[in-house]
Amino acid sequence: MTAVIEVEGFRFRYPGATVESLRGVDLTIEQGDFVAVVGGNGSGKTTLCKTFNGLVPHYWSGRTDGQVVVAGVPTATASVAELSAVVGYVYQDFTNQLVRPTVRDEVAFAAVNFGLVDHAARAAQALEMLGITHLADKFVWQLSGGQQHLVAIAAVMVLRPQVLVVDEPVAELDPGRAAHIYESLAHLNAAYGTTIVVIEHHTDFVARYARSVVLMADGAVVWHLPVAEALARSDELDAHGVPAPQVVQVARAYEQHGPVPLTPVDAARWLTERGVEVRRGALRDPSEPEPSVPARPDAARSAERTLVARLDDVRHGYRGVDGRFDTVLDGIDLDLHEAERVALVGSNGAGKSTLMRLLTGLRVPRSGTVTVEGVSTRDVSASIMADRVCYLYQRPEEMFLTDTVRGDVALYPTGRDVPDATRLVDEVLTLVDLHHLADRDGRTLSGGQQRRATLAVGLAMRPSLLLLDEPTSSLDIGSRDGVIAMLARLADHIRCVVVATHDMHLVAEWATRVVVLDQGAVVADTTPAELFGDVDLMARAGLVPPQVAELGRLLGMDPPPLSVVEMVGRTGTGAALVTPGHGPGRSDRTEVGHGAHHA
Amino acid sequence: MARTTHDVISVEWIKLELLRTAYATRGGLLSRMDPRVVLAWYVLVALAPWFTHDSTVLGLLFVFSVVMVIVSRVGPLVLGLFVVGLLTEGIYLAVAAWLFGGDLDTLMALAELTLKLGIVSLASMAAFVSLDPEKLSDALLALRAPALVAFGVSYGYRMLPIFMEEFHTIVDGHRLRARPVRSRGLFAWRTVVHVGVVFVQAFYPMMLNTAKRTRTTVEALETRGFTFAAHDAASRRVRLAHLRVSLLDVVVLAGTVAVVVVAYGAGALYPTSLR
Repeated sequence: MTAVIEVEGFRFRYPGATVESLRGVDLTIEQGDFVAVVGGNGSGKTTLCKTFNGLVPHYWSGRTDGQVVVAGVPTATASVAELSAVVGYVYQDFTNQLVRPTVRDEVAFAAVNFGLVDHAARAAQALEMLGITHLADKFVWQLSGGQQHLVAIAAVMVLRPQVLVVDEPVAELDPGRAAHIYESLAHLNAAYGTTIVVIEHHTDFVARYARSVVLMADGAVVWHLPVAEALARSDELDAHGVPAPQVVQVARAYEQHGPVPLTPVDAARWLTERGVEVRRGALRDPSEPEPSVPARPDAARSAERTLVARLDDVRHGYRGVDGRFDTVLDGIDLDLHEAERVALVGSNGAGKSTLMRLLTGLRVPRSGTVTVEGVSTRDVSASIMADRVCYLYQRPEEMFLTDTVRGDVALYPTGRDVPDATRLVDEVLTLVDLHHLADRDGRTLSGGQQRRATLAVGLAMRPSLLLLDEPTSSLDIGSRDGVIAMLARLADHIRCVVVATHDMHLVAEWATRVVVLDQGAVVADTTPAELFGDVDLMARAGLVPPQVAELGRLLGMDPPPLSVVEMVGRTGTGAALVTPGHGPGRSDRTEVGHGAHHA
Repeated sequence: MARTTHDVISVEWIKLELLRTAYATRGGLLSRMDPRVVLAWYVLVALAPWFTHDSTVLGLLFVFSVVMVIVSRVGPLVLGLFVVGLLTEGIYLAVAAWLFGGDLDTLMALAELTLKLGIVSLASMAAFVSLDPEKLSDALLALRAPALVAFGVSYGYRMLPIFMEEFHTIVDGHRLRARPVRSRGLFAWRTVVHVGVVFVQAFYPMMLNTAKRTRTTVEALETRGFTFAAHDAASRRVRLAHLRVSLLDVVVLAGTVAVVVVAYGAGALYPTSLR
């Protein structure tokens, strides 16, 4: 194998920064490898990848030392344009990378810019490589997020680079589409020999697709190892804020050293080989006759609980730019009750966001009624409905309407003359732990802080029904756990919380009820454990269960376990167990639940 | 009154109409033509009314422009705005003439100007509704406009739907969270002021969110050879290679010249005046 990228003692400091972002990186990437770069926030992953195509130091002209050699050419002597023909780069916020109106134009753009006469053929081939030829004549803004991502990758592949760098490929996609992106990358790697470099928080994907792993910390490479060896070092990963895949955590509960399984199938074999037995039923006293959680929230039980919101035969849709009518919700009947934690799941475009918008009263359905606490959205304006319902957008910056976090949190209480608004705002800011950042503009905060700021906006509205759209997307695992813990604490303040999400870990750890939407209809109304046990349903709705649930299912556990701790607790070897990793509570729903009380 | 969802005269409809107009999704005669010829056609029709005061000529040119608007399939929103504009202009002129002691002659003289502006507006609608961003940008590049201008045009169009969505979201945010209007006041003046204030306040988050987006865009443009292309003749040639003047272009342009000539001829034979 030959090296395509060689980094030798590279140091870099952004202009005006006081500390170096890269401090002596040594790294060799082989031709044809599939590399995952992992590490905590601020470890220098993105900066490192920007050295590969010369953006550092040509575009970001800071102080450098050492050298980066790409395909035999030192980047210091080549231009970004030359290097781009060798190294393609797809950004995390890839939508902003798309600059042309139509897909075909977007894909051909780089080839046209470089004056390549065969640009049309190249574009056609790039579309073919990613399997999106049928989208060629669409406008970019007509596409879903997943399709846009494939277009962004195709637009880079048109130059036929030897190396493709993708920053966080799956941050905002449903699990089915996330797997599709990775399958596409694996295809490019296998069929065209393209070297793939991904920056990734989700070690499940790393385990499944990568061949080697680079761990970054404090602007340097800690190690670069083959994937099995890398993920076996779960303690080291955990220490750097990168949680190992759940199956690795399970394995580490039995053996602190040695090889680990990387996929649920491997893990099932691994456990069987070691004679680990599992209790197939739920974790409970065998003398207890009924399960503590009903298999389905049955009607009788629902009726006892106080109703918060109701959708009655709701139909809604939008007219497209071509005048065609798209049905998004097709006859939805749904009751939401007091003290429920509802997860709304389904693939991109299943109607989750539309359903939430109808609950806010921003839109009224084309037919059927939406009532919240007995008030129909048809009878009052959205602005009055806001006294009962709060909707938190997927992109936090859309919630930042003023120039400080405090201003945004105070907007509603002062606007509606809530008595003692100042104290309320202070309380809420303390609750989300943002008091020290209250005078900054929300846009300048980190991803996790931004989410907490939007939660504060929601809390200060004191709604009965809180709706959150993808509250954990694009967060690294640490920030994500923070947000989930915060959600668990909301129980004391809000009657009912609904979360639309692709994050199955969030569903497993937080939700008490799961509503599965598919093509505008409710196809299941169930519990997380039931959902993850139902393979057909998961496939139909384009969902992928957390590894530990999948493992449990393979071992015949019914209902499947929802966390590593539950999984381990339900095995019956009696062998001395090792606490998994440094964060035993990371995947433990009871741990999160306790958080509710000392809030 | 119970709230319902409407397909026309709603915010969603306006957004769709803007997109249909900007991206020429309805097709039409001019949209099938070479963009350079469309620009030439536009210059011809837009200049034609300014060399005469004769209302026969202007009338014929106006009718021609209306026909072109119809075959170019201009959407109802833009057309509606044009008609409303024309009507309010007429009313305004009448009121102004009356206030300043003018008589019917003054009004007629002003009506002539309105007719000329009407022809230019109709031609603009027909031409620009038919040019999608790519065509317009390529035409500008072909006519030796700076690469940055040509790109700016197409990028502006690309950002249009994003801006519209973002603006709508921010305004919705204000609707839900900011102080609502308790009483509408005489002629709903409080609502008008409120909407005005919200629109102004929406600019701050819009600007900052856009600035954040643009950072990635600029970097991505660099990696995809945009600055390289600006100084590269081969790139320009490749980009413009697809522009071809077809028979249709020649026919439409020649036909338009004929119409203008005939209109001026008719004006010479049967002169009429609005004064």
